[in-house]
Amino acid sequence: MNWEFIGKYLPMYEKAALLTVKIGVIGILFAILLGLVCAAIQYYKVPVLRWIVAVYVELSRNTPLLVQLFFIYYGFPKIGIRMSAEVCGVVGLAFLGGSYMAEAFRSGLEAVEPIQNESAISLGMNSGQVLRYVILPQAMSTSIPAFVANIIFLLKETSVFSAISLMDLMFTAKDLIGLYYKTTESLFLLVVFYLLILLPVSIVGSLVERRMRYAGFGD
Amino acid sequence: MKKFEWKSVLALALTGALALGLTACGSSDNGAAATGSNDAGSKAVYRTLDEIKESGTINIGVFSDKNPFGYVDENGEYQGYDVYYARRLGEDLGVDVNFVSTEAANRIEYLQTGKVDVILANFTVTPERAEEVDFAVPYMNVALGVVSKDDNVITTLDNWNADDSIIVISGTTAETYLIANYPDIPLQKFDSYATAKEAFENGTSVAWANDNTEVIAFALQNEGYTVGIPSLGSADTIAPAVSKGNTTLLDWINDEIASLGEENFFHADYEATLADTYGLDYEDSLVVEGGKVTAQ
Amino acid sequence: MPDLGIDVLFKGTNMLRLLQGLWVAMKISIVSILISMPLGILVGVLMTVKNRFVKAIFRVYLEFIRIMPQLVLLFIVYFGSTRALGWNLSGEVASVIVFVLWGTAEMGDLVRGALISIPKHQYESSEALGFSKIQTYLYIIIPQTVRRLIPLSINLITRMIKTTSLVLMIGVVEMLKVAQQIIEANRMSSPNAAFGVFLVVFVLYFFACWPFSVLARVLEKKWN
Repeated sequence: MNWEFIGKYLPMYEKAALLTVKIGVIGILFAILLGLVCAAIQYYKVPVLRWIVAVYVELSRNTPLLVQLFFIYYGFPKIGIRMSAEVCGVVGLAFLGGSYMAEAFRSGLEAVEPIQNESAISLGMNSGQVLRYVILPQAMSTSIPAFVANIIFLLKETSVFSAISLMDLMFTAKDLIGLYYKTTESLFLLVVFYLLILLPVSIVGSLVERRMRYAGFGD
Repeated sequence: MKKFEWKSVLALALTGALALGLTACGSSDNGAAATGSNDAGSKAVYRTLDEIKESGTINIGVFSDKNPFGYVDENGEYQGYDVYYARRLGEDLGVDVNFVSTEAANRIEYLQTGKVDVILANFTVTPERAEEVDFAVPYMNVALGVVSKDDNVITTLDNWNADDSIIVISGTTAETYLIANYPDIPLQKFDSYATAKEAFENGTSVAWANDNTEVIAFALQNEGYTVGIPSLGSADTIAPAVSKGNTTLLDWINDEIASLGEENFFHADYEATLADTYGLDYEDSLVVEGGKVTAQ
Repeated sequence: MPDLGIDVLFKGTNMLRLLQGLWVAMKISIVSILISMPLGILVGVLMTVKNRFVKAIFRVYLEFIRIMPQLVLLFIVYFGSTRALGWNLSGEVASVIVFVLWGTAEMGDLVRGALISIPKHQYESSEALGFSKIQTYLYIIIPQTVRRLIPLSINLITRMIKTTSLVLMIGVVEMLKVAQQIIEANRMSSPNAAFGVFLVVFVLYFFACWPFSVLARVLEKKWN
């Protein structure tokens, strides 16, 4: 292990990690937004739109992010749609993550028994109140495990951004191996930085998951 | 709650230990590799000439997306200048050739880990690389070049506009050269020729720096591009490479290239694979025959 | 209708090669699944064992494998293993190793989840009925677990097929690499091939994964 090399290229990894996190976070935020919209459309069974959402969910869940990115980054410009690699990364992650988030939210919403809705209405709540005080709290706690798993999954998926020339952690490691032939050091830094990003998320995720389990109704 | 925290802390600690273990493995191995390269054969990752002959197959690393040097045609056959020579090499050795598709950044790695016996992937000889692998005598001349679009021809790298980037392929001499000599020029790095060219066509960057042979070929094959900087950096050569210390194979290749010079093999190679792209004008300046570089 | 470059696929054996590329990816996932299913079941059962040490070891294994992007694991095994252990792995073998490690971890977690979701009284009742431990597992626990597991493991298959697209990055010539080669070889004659060829790759991946997703959903509905 060549510590001098590690010290020298640490800043490069830091920069790459920041890029990974930045695009990961923005992409995931858009994915959550997209997921909420899709889940709402499916929950309220909005005509026409729900079929579009259904097709989108199937397409997005049954194709690899790498293929989606190749198509968006290298294919789309041929029909006149050009995006920078960063934008493309965000779009790709949101496209992939949107369907996973939608499924998480939808299963949460569907897990709330209709009787809860009916009881709340008979208690005199209006539909906004029902949503705010009855449906959402329960739906959220049901979807939290899937939600957390999705965030980790999406952060991990950012590793394929190297294929569209984003200088993320993966590409940095690969580039340094190609430039200076220091495989061991490059891979070591790669693992350490991914642990630094993902381990806290995983731990916080499990904590939140435990906290939110209060709504285990009748368990 | 309490139980959980204990678990996660343990998980954290053990994962850390695992990472450290990995380090330890890595460092002890590094020492071994270092001695291995000084003392050939003590930790042989490569196959000797006899072992290759015995197995009946030689693994040759070539590009599969660098037209016209190494690419795959519509029938799934490897073609190109490097491939033409690779086939001859297999033929003269009396073994089958197993082509292994490689990317620029993987070439050294493939040799150091014995994944291929020879690299014939347009591999430019540099002192840094020669510390990691053994180069045979050269079979082609090369320098760097920069190609750009006709409407914005780049003829110099000085006074660079910091908003523009240059496309390079990770692990190529162009990348090393630009990092060393023009550290302020933003580089857009790709890991394969296919993706780099695709992005260049799509207008990702204003220019693409690579071996001048490759950028000249690109400008000739695709309309709307000009090689504004036809020669950059030092004049280098391209040669076959084998794993460090694989002398039996290296010597055999050197003899082979010398004897191929008598039949002007690489000129024939040029005419078969490159003439379509370059015409015959570049033949004498590109081809190195018999491993002897003639002063230009 | 602009030229989308799909026609390059009808030249020579291009379409066949693309399908062969898909088959390479499918083969890697099928082999990996076949190996990781039984291993995963074993790991899952071991993880419910009440031995702290065993539990801790599997937990670390699980956490590490699940937290690392598969691409990182591929790089470690493909490039790292030769250096650290002196193994020389082909890209395909390295991929199978990584997918088995990962698949076993995921499968193990699914099995563990399914096992602990079986209510305690099932174990107790069968004990009260005089079943031995092995009989309990064989006749009571496993049949119930399997029902919960099958849809989930079919989902894992889908995820694995999708993830095999990554083997491109360690030099395995699978569908995406073949696609790149086709685009590259036809750059002059069909400059827009990148759109058409990647579109076809997208569609082919979809049809490789989608049937499994549908099957998993149908089984889930049927058994729940």
